[in-house]
Parts: sequence; structure tokens; C-alpha cells
Amino acid sequence: MQQTGSAALRATPTNTASSPMVSATDLWRRYGEGEAEVDAVAGVTVEFRCSEFSAIMGPSGSGKSTLMHCLAGLDKPTSGSVEINGIEITTLDDNDLTELRRQKIGFIFQAFNLLPVLTAEENIVLPLTIAGQEVDRQWVEHLIGVVGLGDRRTHRPSELSGGQQQRVAIARALVTRPAVVFADEPTGNLDSSASEDVLNLLREAVDQFKQTVVMVTHDAEAASSGDRLVVLRDGKICRDAPMAQVEDAHELMKVSAA
Amino acid sequence: MTAITIRGLWTRKLRAGLTALAVLLGVMMISGTYVFTDTINHSFDRIFETANKGVDIKVVPHKTIDTEKVQQPPFSESLLRRVESARGVAKASGGVNDIATIFDKNGKRLNKGGAPALMFSASPQPFNPLTYSAGHAPGNASEVTLDKSTADKHGLKVGDTVRIGGKVPARRYRISGLAKFGDVTQFGGATMAIFTLPEAQRISQKRGQLDEIDVAVAKGASTRQVTAELRGLLPRTLEVKTGAQDAKDQANDIQKNLSFLNTLLLAFAGIALFVGAFIIFNTFSITVAQRTTEFGLLRTMGASRRQIMRSVIVEALIIGLGASIVGLFAGILMAKGITALFKSFSIDLPSQGTVVLGRTVIVSLLVGTIVTVVAGLSPARRATRVPPLAALRHDVMPTGRAGRRRTVLATVLTALGVVLVAIGLFAASGAGGVLGLMALGAIAIFIGVALLSSRLVAPIASALGWPLEKLRGLTGRLARENTERNPSRTAVTAAALMIGLALVTFVTVLAAGLRASINDTVDKNFAGDLVLSNQDNFSPIPAAAGRAVARVPGVAAVSPINASSGKVKGVSGTTSVQGLDPKTFTKVWKPDVKKGPASVIDTLGPRDAVLVDDWAKSNHFSVGDRLAIETPLAKTIVLTVRGTIGNNGGLFSSVSGNYGTVKREFHQPDDANDLIKTAPGANVKTVQARINSLLDARFPIVKSQNQQQFKDDFQKQVDQILYLVYALLSLSIIVSLFGIVNTLVLSIHERTRELGMMRAIGTSRRQVRRIVRYESLITAMIGGVLGLAVGLLLGAMTTVALKDQGFTLQIPVVSLLIFLVVAGIAGVLAAIPPARRASRLNVLEALAYE
Repeated sequence: MQQTGSAALRATPTNTASSPMVSATDLWRRYGEGEAEVDAVAGVTVEFRCSEFSAIMGPSGSGKSTLMHCLAGLDKPTSGSVEINGIEITTLDDNDLTELRRQKIGFIFQAFNLLPVLTAEENIVLPLTIAGQEVDRQWVEHLIGVVGLGDRRTHRPSELSGGQQQRVAIARALVTRPAVVFADEPTGNLDSSASEDVLNLLREAVDQFKQTVVMVTHDAEAASSGDRLVVLRDGKICRDAPMAQVEDAHELMKVSAA
Repeated sequence: MTAITIRGLWTRKLRAGLTALAVLLGVMMISGTYVFTDTINHSFDRIFETANKGVDIKVVPHKTIDTEKVQQPPFSESLLRRVESARGVAKASGGVNDIATIFDKNGKRLNKGGAPALMFSASPQPFNPLTYSAGHAPGNASEVTLDKSTADKHGLKVGDTVRIGGKVPARRYRISGLAKFGDVTQFGGATMAIFTLPEAQRISQKRGQLDEIDVAVAKGASTRQVTAELRGLLPRTLEVKTGAQDAKDQANDIQKNLSFLNTLLLAFAGIALFVGAFIIFNTFSITVAQRTTEFGLLRTMGASRRQIMRSVIVEALIIGLGASIVGLFAGILMAKGITALFKSFSIDLPSQGTVVLGRTVIVSLLVGTIVTVVAGLSPARRATRVPPLAALRHDVMPTGRAGRRRTVLATVLTALGVVLVAIGLFAASGAGGVLGLMALGAIAIFIGVALLSSRLVAPIASALGWPLEKLRGLTGRLARENTERNPSRTAVTAAALMIGLALVTFVTVLAAGLRASINDTVDKNFAGDLVLSNQDNFSPIPAAAGRAVARVPGVAAVSPINASSGKVKGVSGTTSVQGLDPKTFTKVWKPDVKKGPASVIDTLGPRDAVLVDDWAKSNHFSVGDRLAIETPLAKTIVLTVRGTIGNNGGLFSSVSGNYGTVKREFHQPDDANDLIKTAPGANVKTVQARINSLLDARFPIVKSQNQQQFKDDFQKQVDQILYLVYALLSLSIIVSLFGIVNTLVLSIHERTRELGMMRAIGTSRRQVRRIVRYESLITAMIGGVLGLAVGLLLGAMTTVALKDQGFTLQIPVVSLLIFLVVAGIAGVLAAIPPARRASRLNVLEALAYE
């Protein structure tokens, strides 16, 4: 595998608790033209700090997914800036974005998205293999232990349950020790007990490994395991508060039902 | 429903386009072949119509045996007076025609390759078919008129001198005029030299003889009556017919000889279409599988199985018909390309204008459409099995791992194919039967192996993918895994390439066997040192050349061989006959006598014959039998079989008789070859130099070759044919490459979301391209390996069947390796468009893709 990307991307992350890991400033994302023009994200400014577990909620069409896509460099904002670990990503070209994803970002998808031809363990180390990086055996063993897949490591995705597949996906997202893990409705395809497992794992990643996690969800239960709640409506942040300040589950339900 | 089908086709236009391309190329070849051969035929019609322009009645010798080897015997000039004196004849004129080669200042022949070097006598008005653009007709024995296109091509003008050699020693002529043959501009590389009648007779050694008499009927007389009158006056060996009929006959003769070209080209078109059928089948199978949800949805809304079936078939029909129409027009353009291709292989044929017959249109459209629809039938049936529930489950149709029944069927089909080929090779008689059975067998083998190969994909892919995985790690690994995901899809894609490569391998093995057999024969049986042959390698040479060479110091013996054809009683068709000189033949050749006394050829009398052993066996002749042969002179002679010989290298004619007998009874004044033995102690090189200077001075059309030169020359001829076949097979290989592109594009389409994820977690565009490229490479190599295996099998079987002709199994390792490399390169090239597509996928859209 080739190593591409600029030197800037290899700068050691500044893992001080106060510095923002991900930040967006006056972020806009406009779709369509003329009559059909829609601002999916309309001037969002937000910061996510190191080892913070944030949940982004909002009704469908509120722009929460678009916001996450822009933060992760999957979508190009119309204007504004996004910094990940101090790197301005809106101006990066495809090669640098690829390198950014390898070094700084982990993804967890609603649909698991594992490679069907690889075993569970091979799927977990896939980002390292793609990047041509050496596999830290100890770290991988530790992760496999944490996600509880020790006896399933040689199974292919088709032989795993949905919950198990998502646990593989979590391990895969953590394996590169990224600056931030983006989780897009990680419990959307799971039953309640599997969902609980997944959320516990994310919680653990934040508590144990000081991992920064940004999760988009419309499930109040899922959101409540985060440290912070960001609520989006019509492309704007209408509420941003530590989870502790959110009065009760009732308020969360209101947000998710809206 | 049809509207939905058409709308669907439009949204999948890339796929539809790629599928159509697979049909299009085959149809293009069919239509191109027809246009090409029809145009040639039409041109010959025109040429001969022009030649007989002012001729009401033509007198020519009766043609009984019609092969290239037979020279029609001339008749006495005295008959001209008889014709002239007949009632109703206004004017009659005699003419001779033959071949005579024109040489430029450097002694090089002006006509290239196999194009004929025509020579004929100038005829007076109204029979003259020529229009002079400069100068005038030859006025005396040292003048010649050339055709304008030859003169223009070589910068010759009126007043220049050229050297021309016929059957007598060559001499110089002054160009008296340049002429065009009526309005025919394209004569297909042939050269024409026109002499006065006496000079033409001298050059062709037909003093006092004529090849034809042109007759103009007097005003008021009826052509039919004069024809009848002439028939009564002339001997039965002469044919009297109208000028128009003669033109038709002459054109027919040539067209019959060229009809093999039509068959040959159509065969290659058929191969390309067969390969195309695999691709259509595969593409439809994949799209039907991908559209499972759509079919389920249609079924939920009340569409019947029949409607689903019809919608897929209508789709095939539209693609097939559309592709055929485009292919038809592409073929009309391609005809020019075929002409150029043949020209580059020294097969120059006249082609004037572009002839598109109704038959061309009908056959092209019909065949293309039918092939497409038939290939789409099985996928269409599979589409009808989609249950309505599929719409709700969003599932993808199980493409069916090769079931046991299919494996059994495939094995049986392959075995059946091998048996058919074996029967064709070892038991069938007649070229048609052999080729037919072999073709049928090969088709069965190809389909069988294609079906079987879904089982072979995993092991072959593992073996081929291993080095890629070692070298490239993950990308190699994923590429290999991708080819194994849907083995039958990979198998059919690879099988399309297999067909082309198998045929390429087959002809290469065969050519290598032929080369080996010739080399072996020359080494073992040729006891002489030098061979005389025509510069073009197949035309006869003047017998005078051999006689002259016999007097060169250092030459111990010259053994002439002449060749003709006859009709053997009890044997269908014409049989090749050659004449051997019993006094000299065994001095230059060690015959492999199978039956009869070892000295059978030394004692070969004027009414004796030696047969090729195989031919004798298959026609049930044995030593002592009598052989009744009708000669080109329409006489039947009886020969006694004295022995049989092995036909090493396939150099011998079926029947060998006495040289003098073939010369007189078969009217063959020329030799096919002369074999030369140098005197003991003489230096072959020195002797050859002496012979060459003699030939250059007097018989420039003849060349001498030593053993090595003869072998090399033969190898060159074999290679030429081989390259022509490669060129024709390349179309099938190109078609199969479209198949690879198609399958990759469809597979990538299926894996859109997966690719999106890969990109999201840090896979670069280059890595995505690499995965696709390696996948293509592995698929192509599977096709290559299978093709080599099948080709070797067919080649080995054929070689064994031809063992009696000295064929030995040679495995041309270097060529085979080159084929594999070329297949690999082709695979990499085919991957370019799909790899680009895959790497350009928008990550977000790909992730959202359902």
C-alpha cells in the first residue's frame, strides 16, 4: 500500500482535554438551486472536545446527517470551515481526504458495512491494511476482547448476528486510534439488547481509551448514553447542553418525536 | 409493459450499450464478409464482361477438370480458318493467354504475392477490350503494352524498357502503350502484359496454337445459328458459346475458387457471435439478478410470469435488433478493412464499388437478433421465478452455485465434445464431414468447459491470485475474493475469452506440428541439395529452366516434378496427380515406400502409378489394382497401382504417375518443382550461385533454394497464414474483452455501497482502481489458462490424427506464454473503464445506495 498525504496530517494529535478535536465554524451546506434551494446546514458553529461522547439529534430533515458528513469530510460544505485535530479539511483534495480518513477518522454505519469476503478479524484490521500500517497485535487483541468476539474472529460477516457485526464495525473504527469516531445511527438496525451492547462499547471507548465520539441518532435511549446533546432543527443548532443538564428522558423523547 | 421495458433499457443504457457491442461486432463481421465477397464477385463479373465486350461467340477448349493445377490445352491455329469461312461470321480472331512476369530494373517482380501476372495477345477491333491512355498496341515482337495501374504504380512510361519472362527465357521489351481494361480501375494487384499474337505464342510456347477464338457475327445473321454451325465444323474438344455466357463462366470459375474465403470469414464471424452469445447470456443473468426487487415489485402489482418473461425477451429483442442494424452498417465499412487486411497478407483482390445485397441485410439482422434473444432466454426464465415477496425482502436472487446436475451435464457435454472431435478426426471422411464434426465438438467442449469452469474458478483464482496477494497484499486478496464471490459469473466471463484463446492456441499448435513435419521430411527424405520453384511459391515453372540447370557444372541430377488433376473412377471430386521422373527421382528423394517393391519409383512405367498410402486405404485401392483417370484432355487413361508411399509433410499428390505421362496425357508443359542433386565433392554454395546467375538471366520467375532456405520459406508461408488467422480471431478476443468490461461494471454496481465504505475508511482511489484491475487480470488469466488447456487438447488430438502426414506434437511454449501475457494485458486494459468508474464513485451516494 502506498503512503500518501501531506505531512500536516501526520502531526501528533494534541490530546489535551480542553482543545477541540472537531470544530465547525459558520458551516453552510446548500442543496439545489432557485426554487428548490434548501440549506441543509445553515450556519452551524460547534466544537467537539477530546474524549467527549456527543449525540446529535433532530427530526428527519433537520440536517443532522449532512452536518456529520461535512464534519467527516464526506461532503463538501458550501461555506464555512471544518477543522479536525487542527487541520482545515474543507480545502483538502481527494488524496489528502483519503489520508485524513486513514489517520484521524473512524466510521460506524447503520448498515454495518463489513466486507463479506473477509473474516471478522480481517475486517477489524482492514483500515490498517488499507493504509499499509503495521498491526499493533496487542491493541487488536485487546479490542477483540473488549468487543467480545474472541471466539468469532475467523467467522465471516454472513455468519454473525447484527449485533456481532456492529461490534466488529466498532472495533474497526477504533483500531487506528482515530482522533474522532463518527457513528451514523449505529443502533438503527439492531434490537434493544444488541443496541445496549453497542452503546456500552462506545461509552467504554470514551471512558477507557479517551476516544472522541460523535453520534447521530434519533433514538433517545441511544442519545442518553452520551455526555452531551446537540439538537438540530432546520439546519441550525437549537439546543446544545451537557447530558446532565437535560432534565429527563421526557425532554429527549420530545426531541426525537418532533 | 413494453413501455416499462424500454424505459428500463434507457436508464441502463451503459449496460445495454455494452451488451449490444458484443452482438454488434459479430454482425459487423457477417455483413462485412458478405459485402467484401459480393463486391469481389461483382468486380470479376465486370472484368469478364469487359473482356468479352465485342465478342458475339467464343471458341475455347472444353473444360472437364477444373482446378488451379490444370492448364487448358491449346488447339491448332488452323481451326481459325475454318471458323472464318463459316457462314454468318463477319470477323474472327485468335488469341492466346498465359502468365508472364514483368520485372523492374532491379530484377524484382512487379506483381506481389499471389496476384496473377497475366499475359495475352492484343486483339483487333471489335474484340479489343482495352482503352489506350497513352501510346498504341504492340506493333512488333519487341513491343509490349502494360496496364496503366501497374505502370503508374512503378513509374513506367511509354518508351521505357521492361524485362518479361514467360515459359521461354526472359527478354527486354519496349513499352508501346499503356491501357486500361475497359472501365475497370481496380484489378486487384494483377499485372497485365499485352503482346502481338506471334510473340505471345512464342512466350507461352504455343507456336501455331490458340487458346481462344473471338467471333463477330455478320449483320443479319443469328448468333444462335452461327453457334450451331460452328459446333458442327469444330472438333468436339472445343466449346462454342456466346460471349456473354463465356464471361459468366469465367467469372463463375474464379468465384468458385474464392468461395472458400466467404466460408472462412463467415466461420470467424460465427466464432465472434458465439463469444458474443456468452456475453449476452452473462449480462442478462447479472441484470436479472440485480433487478430481483423490481421483478418482485412488478409481480406484487399483478404482472404475470409471462409478462415478466416477455419484458426480458423484448429487452433482448431491442438490444439484438439495434445492435444488428448498427453492425450491418459497420460491416459495410468493415469490408474495406477486410480488403486491406487481405492486401497486407499479399492476397490482393479486385474490389470496385460496394455491393450490398438484400441477403446481406436479412442474414445480418436475423442472425444478430436471434443470437441475442436465444442467449437471453435462460435468464428470462430465471426472472419469471422471482416471487412477489422478493420486493419486500429486498433480497438478491440466489445465482445458484453450480448444482450437481449442472456439473454432470457440463461433464457429459465436454466428454461428448471430445468424442465428436475424435470421430471427426479419426473416423469421418471428406473435409466437410471432418470440419463439421470438429466444429460441433469444439462448441460442445466450449459450452461444457464454460459450465464446468464455475467449479474451477476458485482453485484457479487461488493459484493465480496467490502471487498478487503476496505482492500486493489486501488489494490482491480482495480482487481474488471478488472473482470467487459469484463463480458462475466469473466463469462465463472468462469462458468468452477462453474460446478465442483456445482457437489461437489450436492453430498455433497445428502450425508448429506442420512446420516440424516439413522440417523432418526435408531432413529425412530430401536427398538432393536444391529446389527450383516459382518466386510466388505455388505457380508452375517452365520446364526449360530445369533442362538448362541440368547443364550447369556441378549439377549431378535434376529431377522434374509436374502436377495436374484428374477424375479417378470411383472417387468423388478431383484428385491431385503428379508426375515423377523414374530415372532421377530417387537420386533426390528417399521415398517412404509402404507397399510394393522398394524400387517402385525407379521402375515406374508410363502406365504405372504409386499412391499415397492413406489415400489408397480410404479409397480401397491396393497394389495391382487398376486406376481409371479422366485427364484434363477429356480422355480416360488406365494406370496400374505398383505401390504406396507415406506422405511425409503432405508434399505428395494422391496419385503419382510417370512424368512423361502427366506431361502428355494431362497436358502439363510446366514443372511444379525441380529437385537438384549436386555432384559429389561439388560445393553446394558455388553450384547454387551458378544456377542463380543462370536463372536471373533467363528464367527470372524461378528461384533456387537450398534445404535450409526451403524450410525457412515454408515456415514463412505457414506463419503468414497463422498471422491472418490471428488477425481474424482477434475480433472474437475483442468481443470477449467487452464481456470483461461488462461484468466488472455490473459487479461494481452491485458493490457500490461496499466501495463507499472502503473509501470512507481510507481506501484511496488508486487502491480501488487496483482492486478492479487485479480482478480483471485474474478473470482474464482464468480465461487464458482454460483457453490454453482446451486449445492444447484440440491441437494434440488433431496432431495425432495427422501423424501419418508426419505431424508431431510440438508445444510452442514461447507462443503460449506470450498468449497468456497478452490475455493478462488485455484484462488490465479492459479494467480501465470500470476501474475509473469505481474510483470516481461519490462516497456519500455510494453509502446511501440501496
